[in-house]
Amino acid sequence: MMTIAASAPAPRARFGAMRRLANMSPTDLVTRILILAVTALLLAYILMPVFWMVKSSFQSSAEVRAMPPVWLPSEWTLQPYFNANRLIPLWRYVANSMFVSVSAAVLSTIIACSAAYVLARFRFPGANIILALILLTNLIPAITRVFPIYFFVQDLGLLNSYVGLILAYVGFSLPFAVLMLRGYFEGAAPPELEEAALIDGCSHFGAFWRVILPVCLPGIAAVSIFTFINAWNDFMWASLLLNQGDLKTIQVGIGDFASEGGSPQYINAFMAACVVATLPALGVFIIVQRWLVGGLTAGSVKS
Amino acid sequence: MTRQKYLFCYLMVAPAILITLALGVYPMIYSLWMSFVEYDLLRIQQFGTPFVGLENYAAVFADPRFLQTLSSTIIFTALSVTGVLAFGLILSQLLNASYRGRTAMRMLVCVPWFVPPAVASAIWMWLLNTERSPITQMLQGMGLIDGNIRYLTDPTTWGPFSIPMLSIVAVRVWNGLPFAVIFLLAALQSIPRSLYEAAEVDGASMLQKFWYVTLPMLRPMLAILATLLIIGGFGSFEINYIMTGGGPQNLTNVMAVYSYQQAYSFFRFDLASTASGVILILTGFISVFYLRSQFKKVA
Repeated sequence: MMTIAASAPAPRARFGAMRRLANMSPTDLVTRILILAVTALLLAYILMPVFWMVKSSFQSSAEVRAMPPVWLPSEWTLQPYFNANRLIPLWRYVANSMFVSVSAAVLSTIIACSAAYVLARFRFPGANIILALILLTNLIPAITRVFPIYFFVQDLGLLNSYVGLILAYVGFSLPFAVLMLRGYFEGAAPPELEEAALIDGCSHFGAFWRVILPVCLPGIAAVSIFTFINAWNDFMWASLLLNQGDLKTIQVGIGDFASEGGSPQYINAFMAACVVATLPALGVFIIVQRWLVGGLTAGSVKS
Repeated sequence: MTRQKYLFCYLMVAPAILITLALGVYPMIYSLWMSFVEYDLLRIQQFGTPFVGLENYAAVFADPRFLQTLSSTIIFTALSVTGVLAFGLILSQLLNASYRGRTAMRMLVCVPWFVPPAVASAIWMWLLNTERSPITQMLQGMGLIDGNIRYLTDPTTWGPFSIPMLSIVAVRVWNGLPFAVIFLLAALQSIPRSLYEAAEVDGASMLQKFWYVTLPMLRPMLAILATLLIIGGFGSFEINYIMTGGGPQNLTNVMAVYSYQQAYSFFRFDLASTASGVILILTGFISVFYLRSQFKKVA
């Protein structure tokens, strides 16, 4: 039995829960039943689309389109996954996405690390302005800067090249990465650490490189994973800057196919492509979820 | 020594500030400038980009399609922020309670967060397919409706509301919910237990505890989330662009999609920048006030 609001696990949970249930006032009982009903609906809302995608990707085409809908495949088949590549150049797109996202994550993490460190540790003229600019850039939606960046990338001759898109992703992810890492450096690495290193004759950079970075590796990994997911999931930048033939990223492949109405007779293969397009980001998240969520919320609820 | 320290600081921060200026601040200002000149790709060879003052803004605000888009954006944002926060409050309670399987539950609730917007749109388009929707099947099974629902194409309106608008909001809320849940959960966990114990001693019911203890304690986090969600809502693009392209009859169009269409369908980068300029001004104001209040709290 779950308890709403705060509750520490009772030592003998089952009996405790039953006693609580028996002692509960009628209004609380009604509240609780209502909450359970709403929760069940909400969970269905959250999980149903993902379930629908996954089950459709293992069904035969006829069964996916059957009316009334068939909720579980009568026969699980991998065929849609083999057909997906005929619908769109799936694996090529996945490779494109992977290359662009990993490069963007590595680059922005390196750049963010060094900036976040000095912004977390030192007071120097202009630091507040720099921080304010980064905060503002992070908050204001990207649509307010896409056109100049599009022309900028075009002028550099980088339209429809990986470099242009990677550049855009670094610009897009960097503010968030700096802010998150700055919070992490403040929390996880006490200043005494590099003071000791400095006394031992380390340079500032030496202290950062040899002492701080190793200590903060988990936070740095979390940030690089977030920037990877950011780039992997992006549709807007990629559809602007990299939209020719085989160069598309997987999200643009999916988005274009969907918005053009697709071809309903291959919807199972399309759902298979969607599963493939979701797996890298979701998989990474599931592997490291505790760690990521802790890192993300760490700075936000300090007393 | 301090000079050496400053040099170190500036060197370390230089790449980040360069990129922020080149790909963040400067494009925003340039975009704003584009909204004050004529920037029509079809005429630019011949006429260049003459300064026209506020003409673009006048043109845009005289366009009924833009006004409709502006009001849809506000409705869309208001509905999705309300949805995310209301559902987020309920779900974060569920994830904060103690029971077996809580960790798994937390992970499941997070899943939509990492479904890319393009994929989310594709799945939901399939789920909301007029002829083959399992949702329609369920509703029919419960005897609530007879025929099909045209989730994404029904042009009937009730004031500013329409079925496609509500469908799009549902997708947006679905995608944005986990983010809010995670942050609300973190805030819930920082509420001292003693407050609840005191309320229990006073004989408070569950709803009273929620109303008089939980909600006031969550208010700062709710304010932060509302601000971030409002800013995000004004800039939202992917789901509307992919699922409906703004249709039917412009009912689900939002500012970002309008801006994109002006630029890449009509080559009117000036009108596009004007629309995004309106977003910039609105979200810029909100951001500045938000940042100031955050900084005051720290100081």
